[in-house]
Amino acid sequence: MISKVTPLLRVEALKKYFPVRRGFLQQVGGCVRAVDGVDLEIQPKQTLGLVGESGCGKSTVARLIMRLLTPDGGTVRFDGREITVLNERAFKPLRKQIQMIFQDPYSSLNPRMTVAQTISDGVRMAGIKGKSDQRKRIRQLLEMVGMPVASAGRYPHEFSGGQRQRVGIARALSVSPQLILCDEPISALDVSIQAQIINLLKDLQAELGLSYLFISHDLNVVSYICDHVCVMYRGRIVESAPASDLFDHPCHPYTLRLLAAVPETTEVGWSPQVGAGSQRAPLPDGCAFGDQCPDCHDDCVIEPPAMVRVGGQHYVRCWNATRRQCSAADPEGRH
Amino acid sequence: MGRSNDILLAVENLKVHFTGDGPVARAVDGMDFQIHRRETVCIVGESGCGKTVTALAILGLLKQPPAIIADGRITFDGRSLLDMPAAELRALRGKRIAMVFQEPMTSLNPVFPIGDQIGEAVLAHERVSEVAVRRRVNQLLDDVGIVDPQRRLGDYPHQLSGGQRQRVMIAMALACEPDLIIADEPTTALDVTVQAQILGLLKKLKQEKNMAIQYITHDLGVVAAIADQVYVMYAGVVVEQGTTGIIFGNARHPYTVALLNALPTQKKRGRRLYSIPGSVPHPAYRPMGCPFHPRCEYCEPSCQNAFPALCDYGKGHHARCPILFAARGRAEETRA
Repeated sequence: MISKVTPLLRVEALKKYFPVRRGFLQQVGGCVRAVDGVDLEIQPKQTLGLVGESGCGKSTVARLIMRLLTPDGGTVRFDGREITVLNERAFKPLRKQIQMIFQDPYSSLNPRMTVAQTISDGVRMAGIKGKSDQRKRIRQLLEMVGMPVASAGRYPHEFSGGQRQRVGIARALSVSPQLILCDEPISALDVSIQAQIINLLKDLQAELGLSYLFISHDLNVVSYICDHVCVMYRGRIVESAPASDLFDHPCHPYTLRLLAAVPETTEVGWSPQVGAGSQRAPLPDGCAFGDQCPDCHDDCVIEPPAMVRVGGQHYVRCWNATRRQCSAADPEGRH
Repeated sequence: MGRSNDILLAVENLKVHFTGDGPVARAVDGMDFQIHRRETVCIVGESGCGKTVTALAILGLLKQPPAIIADGRITFDGRSLLDMPAAELRALRGKRIAMVFQEPMTSLNPVFPIGDQIGEAVLAHERVSEVAVRRRVNQLLDDVGIVDPQRRLGDYPHQLSGGQRQRVMIAMALACEPDLIIADEPTTALDVTVQAQILGLLKKLKQEKNMAIQYITHDLGVVAAIADQVYVMYAGVVVEQGTTGIIFGNARHPYTVALLNALPTQKKRGRRLYSIPGSVPHPAYRPMGCPFHPRCEYCEPSCQNAFPALCDYGKGHHARCPILFAARGRAEETRA
């Protein structure tokens, strides 16, 4: 996945294994491969969607990029600079460049701090010294996220979920970041509020030239807001494509299953595809999706598939896609 | 169609208020709806609109006080539930009306195997032998699609996945073959693929067991997938009701229309999403007149004072907005 423009963020072969401790002595009895070789790129001023079911490792990826967790392998390059090897001191200025918005606006704000106090930490970090300048900047940030200036002196409990999420966004913006990692930013909000926050995120992107990593399990939202989408399954990216390609021509069987499961308002009387669920144990060596896949072949059991290009910027990790490609390249079909 | 004698549950002008230190919170403020036999009825609305409170009122599960059922009637199969003695209601609950809750992990008891918990639901209402209960539980788990039920009977809730737990909850609700299942956001905590499985399961079971389902959700996608009849709630009242096709194809209440327009989809890419200004009013501080008027783009002065009546669009389609109803009437007159 090499592109001409330098990406703002390039993640390569990122790995994080969590040890599983068992029994009275808490001995390590294996590990969970939460993130198992993830590659992704975020271009400047673009939104990359990361979708997948709960437990697939989406949030762990964000935490690894933020260095809230230490990776067990792989590299994270921000603006061309490798950041996993930096010590805390050298990383500190970069932390201002990467900020995060969390899912739950109720638990991600300190209930004992007013809105102004919550935001002012970031404003100070950004190097704004004088008190009146700080106040001016806080006011500006609140206006930017559509909050009344009078809300500065109030506490989180006085606000609704949508307003709290706006405060969370203002806090993230306070250090003027280039990249914001949004971890399910709207899934805890009411339906009528979700659109407000989506519009706000889009407006801020246009105004400030922000890049987003948009983590979500809601495919409708992702299809609306993202430029490029990566589908994650059991710690790996299984499909990566520009949003329109992914939703119009999905290739990976897991992506197909995800899309088939989304009930749509345009389709009254939609009948869900009832998968049997996992009946077999995950394959130890082969494809991570092999045990669930309707088209699982012998190859899939033996070796995990590699990421192959199926056109343009569209990549898929599936032996069947590889096979189809080989037969397309080989018109006599000797494959 | 003779549907009137087919009514299983009727809720009329239900008002549930909560008292506390502050002002009275009118959580449900004049709710009317009906469920016919073998029908799936969706109650859709945002958090705080009173959909769960309505369900709890039906089952007599509201703690009184702080809750007060200020007004209204709930009739199940011709009998009033609100006047029913506690013992009779207890006999009915679980036997003829069962409920599936949103969070399977908090509604299952973590220290008992699931087989015992489902068996308890059977034993609470029927005098049957241990062996018969075991056989029944086995069958129920099989019905809800748990693989190898014999082996899973002894499992504890923490050994199951979220989807399996929700299946166990559904098995428990099905234990006495109820006429009505009230499902309160049963798939909200689940992944889309698991959600699809649970929705498919409910559809299938409804057919097989001739049940009616009252499905409570905030997700319009789910509504489109399973509902026969839809009631859209806002601030404690029904603002629009109709068949699923009507609600999604021909909505007439500004709130329903706005909700549908605010949903992000691939088709709306590049266009700005319609967003409803403001936020849902607190149950204790609802505006005068039409509860939606401060957020409504069709608001007229009269909306601020007069509580809107349900306007009849025919074929069971009602919307609580006289402004749009009159506008449509005028448009039809000019055409004629």
